Amino acid sequence: MSLLEIRDLTIQYKTRKSVVEAVNGINLKIDEGKTLGLVGETGAGKTTTALGILGLVPNPPGVIAGGEIYFEGKDLLKAKDSEIRKIRGNKISMIFQDPMTALNPVIRVGDQIAEVIALHSGCSKSEASAKSIEMLELVGIRAERSTEYPHQFSGGMKQRVVIAMALACQPKLLIADEPTTALDVTIQAQVLEMMNDLKVRLNTSMLLITHDLGIVAETCDDVAIMYAGQIVEYGTLAHIFDNPMHPYTIGLFGSIPSLDKDVDRLTPIPGLMPDPANLPKGCNFCERCTRKCDRCAESEPEYLEVEPGHFVRCSNLNGGAENV
Amino acid sequence: MFRTKKQKEELANDLVALSKKNTRTADILSRLVRNKLGMLGMIIIAILLILVIFAPVFTDYPYDAQSFPDRFINPCWEHPLGTDNFGRDLWSRMLYGGRISLLVSLVAIIISSAVGITVGAIAGFFGGRIDNVITRILDILMAIPALLMAIAVSSALGTGPMKTALAIAISGIPYSARVMRSTVLTIKDNEYIEAAQATGSTNARTIFKHVLPNTIAPLIVSATLDIGGNIMAISGLSFIGLGVQAPTPEWGSILSAGREFLRDFPPIVIFPALFIGLTLFGFNILGDALRDALDPRLKD
Repeated sequence: MSLLEIRDLTIQYKTRKSVVEAVNGINLKIDEGKTLGLVGETGAGKTTTALGILGLVPNPPGVIAGGEIYFEGKDLLKAKDSEIRKIRGNKISMIFQDPMTALNPVIRVGDQIAEVIALHSGCSKSEASAKSIEMLELVGIRAERSTEYPHQFSGGMKQRVVIAMALACQPKLLIADEPTTALDVTIQAQVLEMMNDLKVRLNTSMLLITHDLGIVAETCDDVAIMYAGQIVEYGTLAHIFDNPMHPYTIGLFGSIPSLDKDVDRLTPIPGLMPDPANLPKGCNFCERCTRKCDRCAESEPEYLEVEPGHFVRCSNLNGGAENV
Repeated sequence: MFRTKKQKEELANDLVALSKKNTRTADILSRLVRNKLGMLGMIIIAILLILVIFAPVFTDYPYDAQSFPDRFINPCWEHPLGTDNFGRDLWSRMLYGGRISLLVSLVAIIISSAVGITVGAIAGFFGGRIDNVITRILDILMAIPALLMAIAVSSALGTGPMKTALAIAISGIPYSARVMRSTVLTIKDNEYIEAAQATGSTNARTIFKHVLPNTIAPLIVSATLDIGGNIMAISGLSFIGLGVQAPTPEWGSILSAGREFLRDFPPIVIFPALFIGLTLFGFNILGDALRDALDPRLKD
């Protein structure tokens, strides 16, 4: 059994006017020590999935409409609040997107980390703060700075603090929600390198949420491409990067510049993602697809295993390619 | 990277030493002391408190000794602030009156802020139905004018300083709860609150450790401003015979009783107003300084 297994997870945001289908029956699996990259554009439901794992989907309006989330063999959706609270921060922790707002401005950074440790390990205050300093040094921040406040740190340093906080209890699973989006490129590289290094050292699994395929290539073992609340393609890093099958994945690769190929213009994917409150009947990607056929608009495509471990949600895998 | 046990112990010892020198409380105090205006406020309040608490030391006259021949004496050596329409020494009435005014208004502020903060924080943090119910109840309370509310409560409870304080506190609760609720609403959407929950912190812990410390600024400002309003509310209650009973002095009632002599004998109004004003000024600048000291972002 994998460390984390998500089956048919469906999360909706119900408002009076409409039902926003943020996550539509996704299946994911993360093995111990592995990293899964969850890739998709804004609004594809990546963050909602992450919040769903932690049981933090804002309710109302968010409702987990169905599915199962097994963590270490236990269904988190059926667990009691107090049980989930023990898992949060301890076995599963999360790195938020914006380090600028993810730290409490009136608590010193050392105390913020120590709080998490004290909360879960039940050790004394001084032990917790000794451990917090150790964590800070692990992410490359000098011990003296533990008595400083978040506003005295730069963005990259703040993200290091956030990472130290997330790793403080040596979690089994780390959910990183676009951990480098708010950072500039050089700091991005440093932070990523550090995360990779720590992950290996602490044997932590990671769910990396991003829209940057470059980061995925550097850090992930498996990749899931998410579109409009569904996983459209899922496979190992090699499957996705060497042999992308879904037209959306192919489109994503067409949208980023390549070092080897000399092209005048990039080929972006035309159009916009469908309104998640009003999804089309057939394939969600149909509108923007380069190889759509009549079948696509009418029936939802099946989730097929095209080669061992490589899944694609497309009903026109072969037929369409000839039409291009 | 990971330390040996001995190194860990050493580090822990260093830390204890470091934190003794440099606790958060020490931090706040040192920032407070460096604020000159705040210190002025603290000195004003300290002087007032000393005068009021040790009133018998500073005056020879009892506050209720009437002397008909000595009515309306202007400030002089014998009577530093003059005498009132019954020939009572104003200086001693000020000092003894401050006992009631300060005690009642401070107790009222503490009660109304404590209840208001709790209720407002619950409403703002949980939202939804809980918020709706609490806010509607607050609306009902707010629909009744504060003074009328205080009159109703104190006529039910009876007279006396602590009962007056309670009456004023109850009428102040909806206002402080409202301020708290709206502040919590803006704080709770911050990512660090979500992050706190993602680390497994319980709701109560999240509210007290992460939300409350960030809401302190508007609360201190509204509480220090309310002190003056409370002093006037006591006098309002006393005026209709519900607050403090004559001849017990109290700044607000000295002021309102002296109103009719304002044209012929101004000291009877000027001095209580001065004392109320000084108290307000002192608490306001101390409150401002405290707010600045509690906000680490303004450090140095």
